[in-house]
Amino acid sequence: MAHILVVDDEFLLAMMLTDILEDEGYEVDTVSNGEAALAAVRKQRPDLVITDFMMPMMTGLEFAEAVRADAALASLPIILVSGAQGSIARERPELFQAVFDKPYSNSVILEAVATYVQATED
Amino acid sequence: MQQTHRLTSGIDGLDQILAGGFISGASYIIQGQPGAGKTILSNQIAFAHVARGGRALYVTLLSESHERLFQSMDPLRFFDRSQLGTAITYISVFQILRDEGLDAVVKMLRKETKRQEATLLVFDGLLNARDRADTDFDVKTFVAEVQGQAAFVGCTVLFLTSSGVSEVNPEHTMVDGVVELTDTLAGVRTVREIQVRKSRGSRALGGLHKFEITDAGVTVYPRIESLPRRPEANIRAETKLSTGIVGLDDMLGGGLPAGSITLLAGPSGSGKTTLGIHFLAQAHEAEPALHFGFFETPDRLRSKAAALGISLIDKEGTVLTIERMPLADNILDKLAHQLLEQISARGVKRLFIDGLGGFERASVHRPRLIEFFACLMDQLRANGVTTLATWEIRELVGSDVAAPAREISAILDNMILLRLFEEDHHLTRTLSVQKMRDSHFDAAVHAVDFSPTGLAIGEAFGARQKPPHPLQTNG
Repeated sequence: MAHILVVDDEFLLAMMLTDILEDEGYEVDTVSNGEAALAAVRKQRPDLVITDFMMPMMTGLEFAEAVRADAALASLPIILVSGAQGSIARERPELFQAVFDKPYSNSVILEAVATYVQATED
Repeated sequence: MQQTHRLTSGIDGLDQILAGGFISGASYIIQGQPGAGKTILSNQIAFAHVARGGRALYVTLLSESHERLFQSMDPLRFFDRSQLGTAITYISVFQILRDEGLDAVVKMLRKETKRQEATLLVFDGLLNARDRADTDFDVKTFVAEVQGQAAFVGCTVLFLTSSGVSEVNPEHTMVDGVVELTDTLAGVRTVREIQVRKSRGSRALGGLHKFEITDAGVTVYPRIESLPRRPEANIRAETKLSTGIVGLDDMLGGGLPAGSITLLAGPSGSGKTTLGIHFLAQAHEAEPALHFGFFETPDRLRSKAAALGISLIDKEGTVLTIERMPLADNILDKLAHQLLEQISARGVKRLFIDGLGGFERASVHRPRLIEFFACLMDQLRANGVTTLATWEIRELVGSDVAAPAREISAILDNMILLRLFEEDHHLTRTLSVQKMRDSHFDAAVHAVDFSPTGLAIGEAFGARQKPPHPLQTNG
């Protein structure tokens, strides 16, 4: 069962994305900031991370930089979903496998997720 | 005395009623029902702050998503997406509040304020924080801690809350200021008002002030009566301005006293606008003129003038400005501010207001009208503007002058009355000078003729030639 970590300080958005992913058979955990996400990826080793940009403690960009700097995590796929900061993230293609602007359509996200991990039927 | 450092709101009218803006490092509650404009106001303040080089942290609890918020602000001119995530950061602390409580939120805000080097913190959702608190004391402690740590690093705090209007909450005692936004119905129209309910260390302009929300964001129009009084312009008492009508200048002892306010009262069709056109046509470089009207479109005014052989177009743009304010949900104080801004921007010395009824129609609280006009007139006198303002008398034909005109006339310097009389199925127009402040005038009633060159003053009705008896009418 593929494991996805959703990182978003906006609770409702994190919950909605979690529901969509769980419906597709993924195992999903959520955290609300980049710092918590970094701790979670080190501990849980998820197969993929979907992160927001603007968050307390550590932004999505800072989180991705920290992940890429860690040899043990460097190959972890990260998808960034952001409102206004998509352009900032696109300037750093080495950090993110994909960047989507909010609001995004569920099918687009699911398609991208499927590219990087193997969904498991429950 | 040490100068208080202020954080400008970026909204002139709001800075004015706050006596110069928010006090830097102080904390304020911005209160209002949903839809009152708190979110737009606080975002506008935040973007004005970052435009001046500041940094802002905008914190939400359980509200609309940040992206939805950005979309709703896209049409607003102050909103600048390029600042998002750099000079201004939006974060939600809902999960921390839910999972760890108010203390954890306080800690998070301290860390984030420092991390973002924020000089302005907006906390949207004080009501939700109250819901999570066990006691009023917890809320007060929360507010005290957030503002204490923000003040320590010189960060100004705005707490937004949708508590009920007029509701006094325990946390009000903790903050330096409380600003309340209201949105009420007056008849069929919506009236938005802002009030500084508490302002520690500042002499805020009290009472309710109107504001509006447009694509420019929030614009606040401080109540004219609350503005500081200014001394009258220093004008030599004997200076007179021609009305543009020779006979009328003679009746007035040479013209209208410079810097005075004259009421031109009369029923519809009695020649008020025509007289105003003559007055405006006298504009020249040293005496720029402004037509501030509610009824005639600029085109109709030009045609009316052209029919009298007067070209207003020749003067427009250089010494004459024609402004029309259509009668549609006008905001009384906005009209006054627009008028005063035009006067100040163009150095207007001749002003024709057609007519005061346009202001009266915009009023949603009529008891203040007399004070409103008195203060507006004071501002005009302070600018050294010679003003001619019309007042429509309801009775079409006859000698009765309606009561409101008498009230208004008390605060004006001079009054000219135009009347219509009917005799032998023929209308006769008359003009009389009712009063002139500190100046001699011809008190006789004169006939008025409309000639191809405009309005002309005829002979006075003497003892041998009484004016016709006014007809009794229904009106």
